[in-house]
Amino acid sequence: MRSKALLSTLGAALLLAVPLRALAGVPPAELPFPLIERFEHFGLAQGLPAWKVHCVLADKGKVWAGTTKGLAVLEGGKFTVIGPEQGLSHSVVTTLAIDPSTGDLWAGTLRGLNRISAGKIETFTQTNSGLPNNVVYSVAVGHGAVWAATAAGVGRRDAKSGSWSLYDATNTLMHEPWTYAVTLSPDKLYVGVWAGGIVEQDLARGTWKEYRDPDGEFELDLAPDDGPISDISSWATWEDGILWQASYFGIARYDGTRWKSYLEKKTPLVSNFVNFIAAKGQVAWICTDRGLTVTDGTSWATYKSLEKGGGTLEITRPGAKVETRRMATAASNDFILGASITESEVWLATSHGLTRAVLAGKRGQAAERKTNAQGASR
Amino acid sequence: MNLLRKTILAGIGVAIVAGFSALGAHSHMLSMSGRKDLSGVKNCWTCHGQPESIDELPWAKPRPHHPAPAGLAVSPDGRRLYVALDDVDEVAVIDAGTRQVVGKAKVAGGPTGLALDPKGTRLFVTCRSGDRVAAIDTATLGEVGSVAVGTGPVGIAFVAAPGGDRLVVANSASDDLSVLAVSPLSNLGHLASGREPYAVTVSPDGARALVVSRMAGVTRGDEVPAAEITVVDPAAIRVVSRERMESGHLSEGICTVPGRPWSLTPILKVRNLVPITHAAQGWVLSAGVALTDHSTGSVVELPLDETNGYYSDPSGIAVDPSAKRAFIASAGANVVTVVDLGKVAAWLATAGEPARKGAIDDLQLSSEFVVARIPTGYNPRQVAMSPDGRTLWVAERLQDSVLAIDIATLKPLGRVALGDGGDSDPIRRGERVFARATTTFQGQFSCRSCHPDGHVDGLQYDFDIDGVGRDILDNRSLQGLAGTEPFKWNGKNPSLRVQCGPRFAKVLTRSDPFSEKDLDDLDSFIFSLPPTRVPSGPWTESQKRGRELFFATQTTDGREIPYGLRCSTCHRPPLFTDRIPADVGTKGPSDSTALFDTPHLLGIAASAPYLHDGRAATLEEIWTVYNGKDQHGITNYMNKIQMNDLIEYLKRL
Repeated sequence: MRSKALLSTLGAALLLAVPLRALAGVPPAELPFPLIERFEHFGLAQGLPAWKVHCVLADKGKVWAGTTKGLAVLEGGKFTVIGPEQGLSHSVVTTLAIDPSTGDLWAGTLRGLNRISAGKIETFTQTNSGLPNNVVYSVAVGHGAVWAATAAGVGRRDAKSGSWSLYDATNTLMHEPWTYAVTLSPDKLYVGVWAGGIVEQDLARGTWKEYRDPDGEFELDLAPDDGPISDISSWATWEDGILWQASYFGIARYDGTRWKSYLEKKTPLVSNFVNFIAAKGQVAWICTDRGLTVTDGTSWATYKSLEKGGGTLEITRPGAKVETRRMATAASNDFILGASITESEVWLATSHGLTRAVLAGKRGQAAERKTNAQGASR
Repeated sequence: MNLLRKTILAGIGVAIVAGFSALGAHSHMLSMSGRKDLSGVKNCWTCHGQPESIDELPWAKPRPHHPAPAGLAVSPDGRRLYVALDDVDEVAVIDAGTRQVVGKAKVAGGPTGLALDPKGTRLFVTCRSGDRVAAIDTATLGEVGSVAVGTGPVGIAFVAAPGGDRLVVANSASDDLSVLAVSPLSNLGHLASGREPYAVTVSPDGARALVVSRMAGVTRGDEVPAAEITVVDPAAIRVVSRERMESGHLSEGICTVPGRPWSLTPILKVRNLVPITHAAQGWVLSAGVALTDHSTGSVVELPLDETNGYYSDPSGIAVDPSAKRAFIASAGANVVTVVDLGKVAAWLATAGEPARKGAIDDLQLSSEFVVARIPTGYNPRQVAMSPDGRTLWVAERLQDSVLAIDIATLKPLGRVALGDGGDSDPIRRGERVFARATTTFQGQFSCRSCHPDGHVDGLQYDFDIDGVGRDILDNRSLQGLAGTEPFKWNGKNPSLRVQCGPRFAKVLTRSDPFSEKDLDDLDSFIFSLPPTRVPSGPWTESQKRGRELFFATQTTDGREIPYGLRCSTCHRPPLFTDRIPADVGTKGPSDSTALFDTPHLLGIAASAPYLHDGRAATLEEIWTVYNGKDQHGITNYMNKIQMNDLIEYLKRL
């Protein structure tokens, strides 16, 4: 019993540990990203139409949350819901993006793509338009067009002419037409292909390039940093010169020259099962099935919930021991499907509610950079 | 190939061999249509032949051009009136005092809409056929700037926005708005609008631009059509709200009211969801003005018609500076309708919600606030108020003149002739017939009411001649019609004279039929209408691939496409119709026949919805939804890329 009590005390001490560097009087190195101060939850009681939130997008005072029962809009502390009754093409909203040039919201669903402009909903489906397929996994806006990753290729709708172009396995290097993500850089289109790694298009030349996992293994990363972490791409996002690839077998970071891969066993990444990555500057907010990990590739912070309530924060700085903090609050659920980052908060779409993560005051991060217009995820 | 098509083709072959006589053609027409009143039928080619070249067609030949006023703008000091003359590529300058033309500016590309900067030193002109906005120095009348915008720009407004001066442009053919910086003239953004945005005005506080769309959006089944007022924040380049005008249609003007949170939009109230038999009771199309209270977002539609008198096709609108009266150009009735806004406000103050909702249907209500009808020349379309509120200028479009009206007395002050009126031109005379409502019962509507610019209104109608609830038909464009006889969806009218003749009066206008001379002129006008303009420039790869699919004789896996099921068989160039009715598997439960006329495809992308009853909202739906058995061409072998290519090709025709 005494030994049990001792162990328990030691455990508690570890959880609430004061970092050794602090004990030694050395202040911890400043993190390249802000930490989350607390989590707030939004569920059915607050007006969310369904527990499962597939995607989230915060924009100019509004928070758009794509749920299994429609698109919820949080404004002024109240939710309103846009569903099929209001003209949305389907109740399951999978992906969101704002057109920065017009403010129009694009919402992908399991049955078509919707443009929501000042309350008016216009629907594009595989039968009434050139959209490749009704199952839309990802949408991005840029380079004078809206781009949609669907279950049968990527569709590009020209903003001016309304004409559609379709990219799939028949006219690109895609291994297969099942696409999970589209993201744009100033000169490239990146497509996350379900079992085909990443496909890149040079937008000026129209040429294609394919990035596949050279070792071809799913669970193993036999040759680290040799390319995408896996051929299975569950998400991709480009921001500030960095392409982040998400897979259900880890993540990869591509700076245009070199790939670097990150696995649960070799890094502080909380889980290899990654649903989504939101990026701001060179920092990735990685949404997994077991919590949220934040990293720039060198420093790490991971947020997980505890069964008895509240959660933990694990901070890993280069050359330092892991710092673990107990948090009074945690995300609504550790199965996180999407994230949207603003100056002071991060919104998380989870399988059991919407979460507002309030950031600590000091950013400790490089000057603000423009966020990619790509929005949230499945 | 269906039996009828085989029969006709066989008949044509026989006729060629046997020297088929006019008598034989008449016999065939009689058996086809049951009509005995047909004239002008000479031989098979009258209905089913192909022109050797499009150049032979009336719309491809040179025609007279007229200085028809399209847009008006009064200088801030009230001394000058600028008049856009789209048909002659000019902007005329009129001295308001002497009412004389004192100058002209050459502006290429169909100058249509006008907006002045607050000092009156720059005139901004939309060029509808040139897809651009030109800046004119009002001192020299020289063009000092130009910028490309969307397709078919019409309305334009100058907005002194907080972040800098802006222009908001309504691009009628691309269904979007251009927001421009003024200095230098440049594009800042494109915003989605309603269908066919047409007129633009600025809110009294200068913070918003209001844009009205001329057409209702594409509807399905018994959905009520609604036009849109798009409210734009030009500084932020954002649409802030979209107000619906239920059953609103053909809105060509919009203005705000000083001191009130209102905008006023002339509308045609369309009741296409009821059988058109109600024309006899005066209840199909009626003229009104939509009052939108932008503080609440509520829209009240007020009638401009009277119980037994109609003032069709309300178009331009202006309000005097004291906000006492609104002046509406009733284009089909050749009058300016004057509305007392104080009386409107008084009525609104007492009207409950039911009264507001039903206002447009209460034709007695107009007597509460319509205080005058001022006669004008042919087809008054646009109006402009002098800054001092003393003079109203009225563009008499089909008379090539501008009328000045004294606001104090509501009497004409005089007329400025811009041309000779075009009386000697049968096309101009025909357009007057087309635009006047006097040939319909009580002047309820004109041809133009449903065919603005000779095009479509995007709606479906139930003509009761076949029985109420039967044979509901989509409106068809009259543009590019020459050479595509026979007409009507059932393909039974061999000529326009038959189409618009006595029977037309019986089933539609319910009034005296057009005179023979009017019919001649109407023919001239309608056949002069070219197909809707399509994008120019080099063909895209997608369009080229689509062209190959259109003319394909084999599927991509090598199976032969039967002759009768190739796109190019029925939609044969150069007009992309073989002028023979066909069964494409679209007969619905209320249709009397499975055979429908094969429409030409020139400008087809602009005339949604599609198929005989408008069931296909987009070109894609014709094949993705309504061609399950490959009766409308063999298309189900196509993958999505090929389908998209085919659509891109069709958009180019």
